[in-house]
Amino acid sequence: MSLMRLSLLLSMAALLAFGAAACGGGTKTVTETAPASAGNGSPASGAGKEVSIIASVPPTDHGWLGAISKNAKAQAEKYDDVKFELLQAADADSQAQQVEQAIAKKPDALVILPQDGAALTPVAQKAERAGIPVVNIDRLFTAPDAATATILGDNYQIGVLAAGYIADQLKCKGNVVEIQGLAGISVTTDRSKGFKDELKKQCPDGGVEIVASQPGDFNPDTGLKVMENILQAEKQIDAVYTHDDDMAQGVVQAIRNAGRDQDMFLTGVGGSQDAMKQIAEGGLYRATFLYNPNMAASAVTMARLIAQGQGFPELVPPEVPRQLIVPAAVVTKENVEKYEQYAFN
Amino acid sequence: MNAVLKRAKSLESQEYALAVVVVLLFVAGAILKPDSFPTWANIRNMLTQASVVGVLAIGMTFVIATAGIDLSVGSMVAAAGVFGGILVGDDGTSSLLFIAGAIVFATALGTINATAISYGRVVPFIATLAMFSIGRGVALLLNDKLPVSLLDLNGGSFGTPAVGSLLWFGNGRLLGIPVSVYVFLAITIGGWIVLNRTRYGRYVVAVGGNREAARIAGVPVRRIIFSVYVLMGVLAGISTVLLCARLGSASPVSGNLYELDAIGAVVIGGTALAGGRATIVGTFLGVLTFALIFSLMTQLNLSTEVQQVTKGAIVLAAVLLQRPEARY
Repeated sequence: MSLMRLSLLLSMAALLAFGAAACGGGTKTVTETAPASAGNGSPASGAGKEVSIIASVPPTDHGWLGAISKNAKAQAEKYDDVKFELLQAADADSQAQQVEQAIAKKPDALVILPQDGAALTPVAQKAERAGIPVVNIDRLFTAPDAATATILGDNYQIGVLAAGYIADQLKCKGNVVEIQGLAGISVTTDRSKGFKDELKKQCPDGGVEIVASQPGDFNPDTGLKVMENILQAEKQIDAVYTHDDDMAQGVVQAIRNAGRDQDMFLTGVGGSQDAMKQIAEGGLYRATFLYNPNMAASAVTMARLIAQGQGFPELVPPEVPRQLIVPAAVVTKENVEKYEQYAFN
Repeated sequence: MNAVLKRAKSLESQEYALAVVVVLLFVAGAILKPDSFPTWANIRNMLTQASVVGVLAIGMTFVIATAGIDLSVGSMVAAAGVFGGILVGDDGTSSLLFIAGAIVFATALGTINATAISYGRVVPFIATLAMFSIGRGVALLLNDKLPVSLLDLNGGSFGTPAVGSLLWFGNGRLLGIPVSVYVFLAITIGGWIVLNRTRYGRYVVAVGGNREAARIAGVPVRRIIFSVYVLMGVLAGISTVLLCARLGSASPVSGNLYELDAIGAVVIGGTALAGGRATIVGTFLGVLTFALIFSLMTQLNLSTEVQQVTKGAIVLAAVLLQRPEARY
């Protein structure tokens, strides 16, 4: 009996809240559209017609992904004319379902950072066919008609920068260990391939050998265990290239536990606060390669412009470019101050 | 009586067969990596790595002996670690507070499982699947998805951690043997004694073998089932301490899929998933098997896909090697 009353109360409360939200939205629309119609003829900047954007990203249980969500939300809040909703899904299947449900809501644009680009391609194509433009962040869809625009970091360049840095530090002589991310996704493959290709270019006569290359799944405790085993197998290690700052903390600990932190140095990827702190202190953690999560903010901006039918105000063509690549940057003790503002935790 | 004897005998031969697998894997390692595999340092490393999942596997043996399952141990490890971490706080240095906090928190989660299963009559698979999700969520919620650094819990001594401090449990040694290995061995021996030499142990197996018969024979079935999930919680807490001590931090994403490693070790050890038959020696050997496979494959620098196929093939071969009558 009391349970029934409780559920009744709850549903009434929910209805009330919903109603309030709807009203809020309504008044907002009125105030928002006013200046747009007033400023007729100048579609460039300022508030345009109100658009709804839904973003779908993997769960934020990882520093970099957390920063992606945060940046997207913060950027959306800057615009008065954007109705924004952020969805998080635990795996590729549930993300596909989520996007499917999002399509049913008919938003003006979708922003998707897929858990797995290949797996999410069909549902993104479905959105495009339904007339909802899709902005793809970072992990690429596998078909060109799955996204209207794409913004991504350059994972291959990350590998290239890391190889350049390590080859330079070792003067093309030494043993390198590579602790990779999650096996089987393009991020890992590209970071690894860029590293190997560039190492060959930097040291054409050889000299730097990759003695071990194992996945640490972007997870500190896997990184710890894998590095412990590699430390057993390899008596001479001069540098460690890890694919991720969070995971690198486990690798650092394995090296410290073995008492070998004087024998080698390590680099990360991403740009976490922890990593930048250790780089500033000097020692084992020598560099990280910034993979700027503020690309999510740019993605929201792109989605808004596309939905409003505008182009980038500063660029000549009336549309948003199809693809933007955010460059990576080398962060070392010398320049860490400049990059600390982009650090995430 | 005859049937019981025969069952005991087949269990023993299964343990021998698994011991052969362990020896074979070690010999394979010694041949393929003669310089780095059969060394004292590597044995120490493998045992240390085995201890985290090993402690969980001992608890899992009791759970599976009652025909139950616990899918939530990895999530409990993550949640207990982060809880202990925030309890100590940024400036705290009390190792004892962390250890007590982690064990109490994991025990509390285990008690929720126990209550849901034995008094709420929720099937163990579902109750612990729920905790699998809740535990992971709590781990992420507690500190806003961030890991907690525990590097200060060294008993005030940088470099080699002081005896009794948290980091000592991860890196300290007594007579050349890592402290975490002592903890694992003590729990294994304790588990063996409880399972094989006490009335409680006999009750646990009896409940899994035939619940109705056990009830009629006067076994407090509900309390026994309650107790194994609480025990699992306590051991998950101890496992948390061993993991965080080595990692120097408590991460909300740690312990991922530990439940599968623990269940796998128990089952290839010869404990029946249907309950009623359990072996601590088998579990111990199962844990060693997984540790050997992992160490050998990383040292050989095999690619992930080859590792996955090889690991699966070795597990299958290990079970097939055991006597046919023991397979079901």
